[in-house]
Amino acid sequence: MIGTTKKPLEEVLAALAPYRKVAVVGCDGCAKICQTGGVDEVAQLARTLEAHGKEIVFEATPERTCNVAKSDPILKPLTDKIQEADALLVLGCGGAVQITRYLTEQYGLTKPVKVGLNSVGHLDTVVPGAVAMEECSDCGECVLNDTGGICPVTRCAKSLLNGPCGGAEGGKCEVDHNRDCAWILIYERLKALGETDKLKRFMEPKDFSKMAKPRTLYIKEGRVAS
Amino acid sequence: MKLTELFAKGTFVFTGEVGPVKGCSRVNGGPPPEFVQEALSIKDYVHAVNVTDNQSAVMRLGALAASVLVKQAGVEPIFQITCRDRNRLALQSELMSACTLGIDNVLCLTGDHIRLGDHVSAKPVFDVDSVQLLKIAKGLNEGRDMVGNPLTQPTDLALGAVVNPGFEPLDLQLLKMEKKIEQGAQFFQTQAVYDPIIFETFIKKAEQFKVPIMYGLLVVKSPKMAQFINENVSGITVPKWLIRELESVAPQGRKEKALEISLRLAKEMAPMVQGIHFMPLGWSDLIPPIVKELRG
Repeated sequence: MIGTTKKPLEEVLAALAPYRKVAVVGCDGCAKICQTGGVDEVAQLARTLEAHGKEIVFEATPERTCNVAKSDPILKPLTDKIQEADALLVLGCGGAVQITRYLTEQYGLTKPVKVGLNSVGHLDTVVPGAVAMEECSDCGECVLNDTGGICPVTRCAKSLLNGPCGGAEGGKCEVDHNRDCAWILIYERLKALGETDKLKRFMEPKDFSKMAKPRTLYIKEGRVAS
Repeated sequence: MKLTELFAKGTFVFTGEVGPVKGCSRVNGGPPPEFVQEALSIKDYVHAVNVTDNQSAVMRLGALAASVLVKQAGVEPIFQITCRDRNRLALQSELMSACTLGIDNVLCLTGDHIRLGDHVSAKPVFDVDSVQLLKIAKGLNEGRDMVGNPLTQPTDLALGAVVNPGFEPLDLQLLKMEKKIEQGAQFFQTQAVYDPIIFETFIKKAEQFKVPIMYGLLVVKSPKMAQFINENVSGITVPKWLIRELESVAPQGRKEKALEISLRLAKEMAPMVQGIHFMPLGWSDLIPPIVKELRG
């Protein structure tokens, strides 16, 4: 999922300052899991905005706002309402904001679309409702087959591919003493699997062209282009 | 002079270390900058001097410019280059620049993380790692860049690397050391280590690689510094006995005590290695007496 945190209310109010009639669009996918933009959070923020003098034109929470197939059926019937709004506030990731903007343009509308959240990136839920952790950097060239299912690109602070730096102490990373050294985790895991020989293999420099922005995924062909 | 040539001749190699200043070093006829003076002060006692590259991720004068100044002053530099601040184009370009400007020795490092330095909000690079950098540098020595394009003239650099004997689990560090050798490392300087037993365990396992290893001796100046290292410098542990010894003398006697401890460590470790790398953190005047004693 895409991790999100709430922007401070002052920041949201500042972004909405020029507008009175506001539509609030949440996301019942990732933002719901992060407790930042599900139905409850949308309603909560809508009431707060009302208390600050805004008129809420509508509240909507598509199942996954970043997915046109999910958000279009919710937003299209609201075209008249969107027309009425001075601005839309999206409680979703940056992708959700941009898909919402894309759809409003598809409906022939030019409306300011603002974001109420900060996107943190691809995170994975470790403790539901409490902790999500970044485990994958979406690098386009997965090395997990060789690293015991633990990603050094993401979980090593330096994204080292050929083993640890010399900075770990007591198994912890030099950058954050509360975080495990990814390479020690990989080593222990491969040892348990009887696969430490994999550590001897030289890993070539990564092909970062696979991370060149923006990437486009052509789903039917399974092809990524940038 | 390449360090590899000295090792090949069987010379027991001594190296020092200086950190470039945080500022411009244009002297306009004045006295040489402090780090050059420090390098000059040990000129007769060491074969070469490491010039650190934004050490501890603290922004300073560039290591290449500083290395060239050291070289111009008549001291052999070992240009440290890290992967932290440069992508693969910049790394290759910098290595070719170094060779072009007369540098013979480079130490290829990953580099401390930006989070530990004075520009914590910077974007870390780490485009390649130290093992990959060694392979790239070896390729440049063989006349091609990392994608196979020919160079008009190859570089001619002796390639050094580092290893941390105090790392747990040691086998993981040795695996990486072996990879570094396979990809081009010709000599090693070790991270600071103060326990002869730990060091001996490491040396016994590393001997099989048949590559020159220099014992890294970081001079501990005070109990406060020892405490700072133990709390903030990753990968190094200053043992209690060393702290107690430093505590046993008054502050004005600390330098003499540090010399005594360093000399003892140097004597103890020397038979196990092909050289000693001093990291004196400004106390370079401790190096001559130690080297004199070891040279007999």
